[in-house]
Amino acid sequence: MNSTPQLLFKNRVAGQTIFFKDYCKTGGYQALTKALKTMSPTEIVDVVKASGLRGRGGAGFSTGLKWSFFPADAPRPKYLVCNCDEMEPGTYKDGELLAADPHQLIEGMVLSAYALNADVGYIFIRYAYDQQLRNLQQAVAEAKKAGYLGKNILGSGFDFELHLHGSAGRYILGEETALLNGLEGKRPNPRLKPPFPAVRGLFGRPTTVNNVETIANIPHIINGGAEWFKDLARNPEGAGTKLFGLSGHLNCTECFELPVGIPLGELIEDYGGGVWKKRKFKACLPGGASTPYLTAEHLDIALDFDPLAKVGSRFGTAGVTVFDDHSCMLRATLNLLQFFARESCGWCTPCRDGLPLVCWLLEKIEKGEGTNEDLEMLKQQQQQITGRSFCALAEGAMGPLDGLLRLFEQEVIDHIQKGECPF
Amino acid sequence: MICLGNFSAEIEIMKKLLLKKQIDAFRRKVAKTEHPRELVIDLLREIQDRNGWVSDEGVELAAQILGVTPIEVEEVATFYDKIYRQPVGRYPIHICDSICCWSRGGEEIANHLQQQLEIKLGETTTDGLFTLLPTCCLGGCGRAPSMMIGRRFYGNLSLAELDRIIEQLREEAKG
Amino acid sequence: MPTLTIDNRTVTVAEGASVLDAAVELGIVVPHYCYHQALGAVGACRQCAVTILEGSQKGLKMSCLVTAEDGMQVSTCDEESRSFRAQVGEWLMTNHPHDCPVCDEGGECQLQEMTIGSGHGIRRYRGNKRTHTNQDLGPFITQEMNRCIQCYRCVRAYKDYCGGEDFGVMGSRQRVFFGRFKEGPLESDFSGNLIDFCPTGVFTDKTSRFKTRYWDLQQAPSICPHCSLGCATLPGGRYQQLQRVRSGSNRLTNDSFICDRARFGSDWANHPQRPREARIDGEKAEFSVVLSQLEERLQSLVDTYGGETLRLLGSPRASFEANLLLKKLAVRFGAPTPCYDAHPRRAFAARAAGSIPSGQLASLQQLRASDLVLVAGVDPLAEAPVLALALRQVVRAGGRVVVLDPRPVELPCEFEHHSLTQEALLRGLSAPEENELLESLRQQLEAAHHPVLVGGGDLLGGAGLLLLRRFSESCCGDSDCLIFPVLHGPNSYGGGLLEEPGERQRDLLEDLENGKVRALICLEADPAIEHPDPGRMQLALARLDLLAVFDHLPTHSVAAANIFLPTRTLFECGGTYVNNEGRMQAFAPVIEPGIPLEVSGGGGHPLRQFDSGVPGSAPHSAIHLLQQLLKDRQDLFGLRRQIVEEIPCLRDLDRLEAGDSGRRMADCGESLEESRLEIWAQEGELRLLPVMARYGGDQYSRLSQPLASRLQQPCLWIHPLEAAERGFGEGQRVVLRTAVGHFRLSLSCKEKMVRGRVMLPCLPGTPLEVFTPGGLSIPCQLYAEDDNA
Ligand SMILES: Cc1cc2nc3c(=O)[nH]c(=O)nc-3n(C[C@H](O)[C@H](O)[C@H](O)COP(=O)(O)O)c2cc1C
Ligand code: SF4
Ligand code: FES
Repeated sequence: MNSTPQLLFKNRVAGQTIFFKDYCKTGGYQALTKALKTMSPTEIVDVVKASGLRGRGGAGFSTGLKWSFFPADAPRPKYLVCNCDEMEPGTYKDGELLAADPHQLIEGMVLSAYALNADVGYIFIRYAYDQQLRNLQQAVAEAKKAGYLGKNILGSGFDFELHLHGSAGRYILGEETALLNGLEGKRPNPRLKPPFPAVRGLFGRPTTVNNVETIANIPHIINGGAEWFKDLARNPEGAGTKLFGLSGHLNCTECFELPVGIPLGELIEDYGGGVWKKRKFKACLPGGASTPYLTAEHLDIALDFDPLAKVGSRFGTAGVTVFDDHSCMLRATLNLLQFFARESCGWCTPCRDGLPLVCWLLEKIEKGEGTNEDLEMLKQQQQQITGRSFCALAEGAMGPLDGLLRLFEQEVIDHIQKGECPF
Repeated sequence: MICLGNFSAEIEIMKKLLLKKQIDAFRRKVAKTEHPRELVIDLLREIQDRNGWVSDEGVELAAQILGVTPIEVEEVATFYDKIYRQPVGRYPIHICDSICCWSRGGEEIANHLQQQLEIKLGETTTDGLFTLLPTCCLGGCGRAPSMMIGRRFYGNLSLAELDRIIEQLREEAKG
Repeated sequence: MPTLTIDNRTVTVAEGASVLDAAVELGIVVPHYCYHQALGAVGACRQCAVTILEGSQKGLKMSCLVTAEDGMQVSTCDEESRSFRAQVGEWLMTNHPHDCPVCDEGGECQLQEMTIGSGHGIRRYRGNKRTHTNQDLGPFITQEMNRCIQCYRCVRAYKDYCGGEDFGVMGSRQRVFFGRFKEGPLESDFSGNLIDFCPTGVFTDKTSRFKTRYWDLQQAPSICPHCSLGCATLPGGRYQQLQRVRSGSNRLTNDSFICDRARFGSDWANHPQRPREARIDGEKAEFSVVLSQLEERLQSLVDTYGGETLRLLGSPRASFEANLLLKKLAVRFGAPTPCYDAHPRRAFAARAAGSIPSGQLASLQQLRASDLVLVAGVDPLAEAPVLALALRQVVRAGGRVVVLDPRPVELPCEFEHHSLTQEALLRGLSAPEENELLESLRQQLEAAHHPVLVGGGDLLGGAGLLLLRRFSESCCGDSDCLIFPVLHGPNSYGGGLLEEPGERQRDLLEDLENGKVRALICLEADPAIEHPDPGRMQLALARLDLLAVFDHLPTHSVAAANIFLPTRTLFECGGTYVNNEGRMQAFAPVIEPGIPLEVSGGGGHPLRQFDSGVPGSAPHSAIHLLQQLLKDRQDLFGLRRQIVEEIPCLRDLDRLEAGDSGRRMADCGESLEESRLEIWAQEGELRLLPVMARYGGDQYSRLSQPLASRLQQPCLWIHPLEAAERGFGEGQRVVLRTAVGHFRLSLSCKEKMVRGRVMLPCLPGTPLEVFTPGGLSIPCQLYAEDDNA
């Protein structure tokens, strides 16, 4: 059914994990060998830049550009950190990738570190990904044994030491500076920026943080070249393939590797098997819990960063959660806001105290006890929190609230007027 | 505080919390790294794996191994929701209550479990077997509704499936 | 220096200042919580939002995080930032209890003020509030966590700034908790700063609970009398009772921090045994009668035996003005110039500090900005606690601290400690070029950007301080190496200035013993235990024809006096202290003198009946008493004017105001004394060094009830190897034999102290008071308790 070239899911077989031998059989570590033998670090950065790869962790910043800011000549140690916190509801692609084929990430890490001239790497793995952590432990051991990790890799003179860090819960650790504090064993509150991690990151040293999928793409880009990678996308401004994790009210909730720019409707019908229980599509979160809803009018939209930004939403992590026409969007938004309020780190006021206040309002309206003033207050909260919190967590929380107020205001008013939930 | 004067008592407590070889391994790592504090989560996770939760003594032991004060460990330990600073049942059940599971019957799962185990969320069964803990998204959105017991993931849950799992764990606990 | 416009008003601020600083400068209120001048900005509370209209970043911004730029246009009254600030006020108040009527912070609560300042008035939230269980944090501080607004200032002050290790932040989201791992007394020597730094009523002063509502409290800016640093304080009291002390703010000295000795150690002013009535030969009498008696007796003595037979003793505790008047009194009676410390070696140290040109003296502010500090012979937590805080800031900013001291010095930061004997240290300073350690330190100091030498008057003595000065001159590289002398009392430096320069101080004791002296006047001094040989001194005092004492503490000398005149404490009168770096600082009266009005309502409520004790017996200030003897009727200001005319280097004395940052004294002209190093002991023999105790060692705070829990228990410090050699262990009971008697003590082993010495933290008011710090080590012997029975 899926005719897209499979890069990241090339070796994926349901219920199985591919390790070193099988990874190598399908061309594993060839990109690394090629790069170490024939390419300079700057060449790699240039290729990545040309490939158009944008960060897969949610913000979509150009990876090549980010790398070009990294002070590769600074004295050691310098760190490359891989972010596998993946705790945003609706997002599970990195988990799928690591469950299937962990060596891709290891190869990507060594390659990226070589490009950045970083000498120590950390892979940060969320608590719930216990299987993935164990897969990586095995993969690291195998890679070390084969000489792909450690001192003088493949005789190139390049050394790279890789650590795995199993975390213990909390969404905020996905925020890169909170993650660094977490790795250091400090309270994982986000840090003030500037200085940015590239200047003062882990243990005060230059650090780059990248998402699992971002890094796993690097070997494929090195193998196939920038042009090839860019052309994989369906839309002209896009680049590469993307892991789409489907969830919610669909017949098939799985993770697929598909071209960037695939239209939403096609994704839902051809891959999600259509909305479940023969119901109609009402809305979806296009890229995780922090992205404003899309509705039926957006079914033709190309799923990529720029087109989604144009309609007031975000591509995020491409975890698509679909809601059928029986869903109460107010209730759904309350659920999302409860998640964000509970995951607040407690550092800044809008997030720590503002999000619970939003939850209180949503709950009140949901129960049919809301008033028009409550709706006004809800709108105020959305305006006051957006853009004013310390880090992007509360900002993200405002995504679905913004969607609710923009696209489903009538539903909220119905709750108030009927004095109960209309669903 | 672990009483520093009373070495034998201290060793007893430590042994209960972690095996000597685990402690030694951590001490070696601490000696090797420039920033021992980075090991705090590893250490707490290991203490929890062995004891089911992290007691005050566990925090103190971690502090001692890392060469920091107990409060510095506590600041971190109390931040993470998967470090239990209170005793939990033998099988801590994390029920996902985030959006994907919610959209596919997560609330029903939670209600069913509360009825079957006769406890509310946050409570532990009197036999000490189960604790019900709501949790945010487990990364199993494609297999919603889902839960995690200990560190084991269960997806695509149905009520019948749920009963079977609980029964199985009860059996396991007997054996 | 950028010039910017806020709300159409223009201001020029220092490079690097924030927009919030600039607004403060203009008197524009931008409410804020997490920002504190001494702690810096972290951008957590989000209360300080303003709108930047022109500048490199535009729009709504946190003013604490935006650096002021030239030409910047800022608005604080636009709708956007105004409504956001009100919203932050609402968020912060969602969980705050409405317990202001019973809250100890009421009336002086920043949360009250800034909530009003934010424009938030009516809370719309109607749900439950989060609640916490409080911890018992010991005798000093009450915790009421429900009032917390999560500004994180407490933990940043206690832990980050002060280096406290037993306090932190736990939990997350809306349930963060600020406290200890387990209940129990806070351990930091600076714990009380929590009270000042918490903007609301979470941490309040337990020792002053339920005494006075803020608006009824009498407060005035003052100077801490517990050591020589001269930290700014803000004492408060009512009904003639001193009830609490808060930190004042002086960026040049203590910034916004004081130590717990200052905060909880001021209850001596209310001490039940405080002598409050004038006496002649033990009999109470009207003060004017006593004063004229004194004058008569002095006159006849001088007439009969000559002025030489009268001696006057000022003190580091007395104000500069009183000490100066004492000098005038000496002139009037033809007596020799007064001594200003009964301890001759301490007096010499003060004179030596005074002889260092003021340009070479460091302020604490300069010290905090240093990149390399060499501390020679100071145990900061015992002798000058806030110095320890300043050293911590050096280390936090990436600088280094090196300590040369025989004691087991502890600091709330990392530092390098070389433990060497006092004698070795002095010898090293006298010939640094021959000493490997000092030579290498000298080179490091020379290479440093802002090197500072800290020198302890007690350990080094005057001769040592002069050597240190010479050493500092050899360390000046690109920038001068400044000196920060640590002296004994709040006015030691001032006393040193008044002593005759150039003339080696005669030991008062010798003169008393050889019968040359018939009368002694003590101004807030207690030679009976301040002199290094208290036993002999007490005998000598008993032989005097006339011992006249002016004081407010229940001292030995007061008890022995023929004529006693009670004086006011610094809380009850105005005056000036000159701190260790030659900074003149004024203090103002806080409360009226007199017996505190104790509640006599038998615990009933409301408390309405009061008993004022003996009326009409309120003491006068020492200044006033001395002026009466001198027939001088000037007010304090007139007196200061006159002093300035007479002593030009004090030129700014008459411009001082209590609460200002004080003024450095100008150079009084070089008056180097010949510096003769004391003879030192040979290494090898065991000797005893009396040292300052961290708590209970100074004349004032040991009399303060709230500090009782911190007072040190008598013990003898010894190096563990030294102990082991003698077959002793930790806690062992031993007998210490010295020339002044033998003492039963238990041993406390200290890894970090020097070998070859035992040390005794001195405790006035106990049998150990026969030992006074500030001298050289003395011979001693140690026995196990039973061998010696
Ligand atoms: C609250 C929050 C949670 C985040 N969680 C994740 C995450 O789980 N995984 C991730 O890769 N990035 C996450 N991010 C984004 C990271 O901060 C960071 O931008 C990203 O790891 C950069 O990698 P990329 O450039 O490869 O996308 C999160 C950001 C925020 C504000
Ligand atoms: S206790 Fe006080 S200082 Fe600490 S966070 Fe709460 S309000 Fe701020
Ligand atoms: S004072 Fe600026 S954010 Fe708190």
